[in-house]
Amino acid sequence: MAAILGISGLYHDAAAALVVDGTVVAAIQEERLSRLKNDPGLPRRAVAACLRLAGISPQDLDAVIFYESPYRKLERVLRWLLESYPRSVRHFSRALSVQLGSKLWVLDQVAELVGVPRARVRCVEHHRSHAASAFLLSPYPRAAILTVDGVGEDVTTAIYRGNGTQIEPLGSLPYPHSLGLLYAAMTAYLGFEVNEGEHKVMGLSAFGLPRYRELFQKLVTLHADGSFELCARYFEYEHGGELGFSADLEHLLGPRRRPGLPWELATSSSDQRYADLAATLQSVTEEILLALARRAKRETGEDTLCLAGGVALNAVANARVAREAGFSRVFVQPAAGDAGGALGAALLGAIEAGDPRPAAMQHAALGEQVSVEHALGLARQLGLSAERLDDPARTVGELLARGSIVGVCSGRFEWGPRALGQRSLLALPKESQTRERLNRLIKQREPFRPFAPAVLAEHAANFFTDAPNDLTPFMTSVCSVKPEHRANLAAVTHVDGSARVQTVTPSATPLLAAVLSELNQHTGAPIALNTSLNGPGEPIIAHATDALAFLSAHAIDGLLVEDCLFRRPN
Amino acid sequence: MAAWALWRSRDLWWVRALARLGGRWSFRAQRRTARLLYGFACTEAQSELELRDAARACPDVRRQALYLRHALDEARHARAFAEHAQALSRLAGGAAFSRPSAGSEGLFERLGELRFLAFVHAAERRGRVEFETYATLARERGALGLAQLFEELIRDERQHEAYSARLLDELGGETEGPRALAFARRWQAWRAFRRIGSAGSGALFRVTMLSLYALLAPFALLWRLRPNRRHGFSSEP
Repeated sequence: MAAILGISGLYHDAAAALVVDGTVVAAIQEERLSRLKNDPGLPRRAVAACLRLAGISPQDLDAVIFYESPYRKLERVLRWLLESYPRSVRHFSRALSVQLGSKLWVLDQVAELVGVPRARVRCVEHHRSHAASAFLLSPYPRAAILTVDGVGEDVTTAIYRGNGTQIEPLGSLPYPHSLGLLYAAMTAYLGFEVNEGEHKVMGLSAFGLPRYRELFQKLVTLHADGSFELCARYFEYEHGGELGFSADLEHLLGPRRRPGLPWELATSSSDQRYADLAATLQSVTEEILLALARRAKRETGEDTLCLAGGVALNAVANARVAREAGFSRVFVQPAAGDAGGALGAALLGAIEAGDPRPAAMQHAALGEQVSVEHALGLARQLGLSAERLDDPARTVGELLARGSIVGVCSGRFEWGPRALGQRSLLALPKESQTRERLNRLIKQREPFRPFAPAVLAEHAANFFTDAPNDLTPFMTSVCSVKPEHRANLAAVTHVDGSARVQTVTPSATPLLAAVLSELNQHTGAPIALNTSLNGPGEPIIAHATDALAFLSAHAIDGLLVEDCLFRRPN
Repeated sequence: MAAWALWRSRDLWWVRALARLGGRWSFRAQRRTARLLYGFACTEAQSELELRDAARACPDVRRQALYLRHALDEARHARAFAEHAQALSRLAGGAAFSRPSAGSEGLFERLGELRFLAFVHAAERRGRVEFETYATLARERGALGLAQLFEELIRDERQHEAYSARLLDELGGETEGPRALAFARRWQAWRAFRRIGSAGSGALFRVTMLSLYALLAPFALLWRLRPNRRHGFSSEP
């Protein structure tokens, strides 16, 4: 029996996760507490919060595991600086400064940060961390595991076989042949921020047609064995390109889109071209992921699949893999990106220490609790009105049915990038005007980005095809909205008829489930529009202070914190 | 009281002089003005995070609310600066700026509340003097929109200066308050010195690395001569 802390950081998505006696006690992304989106530092606040939640001190930790090997990473960087000599001249000084200045010493920094002896800190491989985060929390005793991301040490893609507590490596693809880096380079080409705008590209792709497949064949070659190769001349990861792509890519695909310009898909032919490029990228990504999944199936002979790595946050591609790769069930853990590495590292440490495999993940509420008493005291000082409710779900359901937009803060906050009912903004899914109002008042999103529905799991099949499944509780897949319901679900149906559905059960998300039941009474459909409780560019809300700051800054109709409804003064 | 009075009467002539110099240089070209404003946006964004940290960590709910209100103002300022910077950059055909973001240094936790407040008060005072200078310069150059932006923010800065002074009085009294302010001045000067030192050592590091890079040429050649890199799946983990 052991207490193991897992840590990811010093790239993007710093996080900490704590496993005590084989149970995941807490898992927290640093950005929620530091309020810095995709926080790239070390998870100082998240570590403290995890220890607080478990009620233990650093001295009680048996091991602290970092999610990747800094030594293998340095080796890869040095190898690629030589490989691309002399083009790497611009990158050399910065790369060495980053590697030698901090990353190489990360295990010492972690020991100091946590407050444990250096001997208790060690590291595991990046992709193994990802694999563990998906498989060890999946509901499957055995499974094929596929991890796909930008790069971890010197590997970009890996296949494992999971059996009980064992994770056996079967094959990997080397850097720089990376699906994650291809997607990142195209994200930058389309004018979005890398590591932040990838989901925008996914949303945009539905507005285009994959017309540029021939051009993409020059960028990436898919082999019969499921592997793929990127053509190096179009990319600039290893020699200092800020954007990840070279001038040759612009010669091939045309000029890149300038960031920050408003999108005019209906009227601008050049924006339509960018949408077609996004559609082509999405289609190529899906085909590569499918080929990899089929290879994983061939190699392992397993009937179930666990996906992890940043690419596994591509809900559209996940849905296609679930449909077409030949597996009966697919699971993606909600923090599939690098934050998830912290959880995987902790789980690997726990298994190594002899602890049993944890129970399958039922919910993602692994963060800190919101305090209603604190919220009440602060609201008084801020001049916000507060009303204690006997039946909060009923009141929220009634408000939503009247067309209000209501924020909800309930219990411990979520693990991963999705709001799953613990820190959510809810609205009626019916009117497309709701989408516009949400965008105008709060989100300021690009017009092509869809909002997602939350539906009671027992009713999901009435409205969506293929739901519920193992992916839908965590919003890591999309489903088709049944044609007869599309008009009534206009605010959450994407242009291609899909929706990134969250299926809700009372055991996993009690308040949201009760609100949906209440909505069912009013509207005949237990469905709400569910989007994250945050402003543009901000991390999702964590505590009462953040929630009341959000209410003060945005004209929503109400904010529920546990059983207390807060409103702005008229 | 004497120490306080002395502090309040101190003329920040050097801040005004530097701002005048910087403003004259920046306001000559739209791109430079955009970069200056974007820099302010990032500073305000960082300040927002420091104040949010303070609002979370402060034990007193009244002061939590004051810090939170201040944080919301800083967020609004960051947005206003970023929007102006973006618009100017677009007019000048320059690149778009990303959303202003900066990490918090955890100043409340590091300094303790009194010294944190002194730091905030000194920074707000300096900021107000800078903005007043920029507003005047912008008016002189006929950039009325820009002048108006600074003037609107000056109102907030005055308010922040006043509340932080009140809290300093309240928490530190006649002796500890001015002492904390003196610390904030010394600490700020030390940080400025370190920033300059870090820029200098950074330049030296780059030159050293460039020399090292040149020495790597034969190794790079040898590297090229090795057999081709592997492609496709490898059974190595």
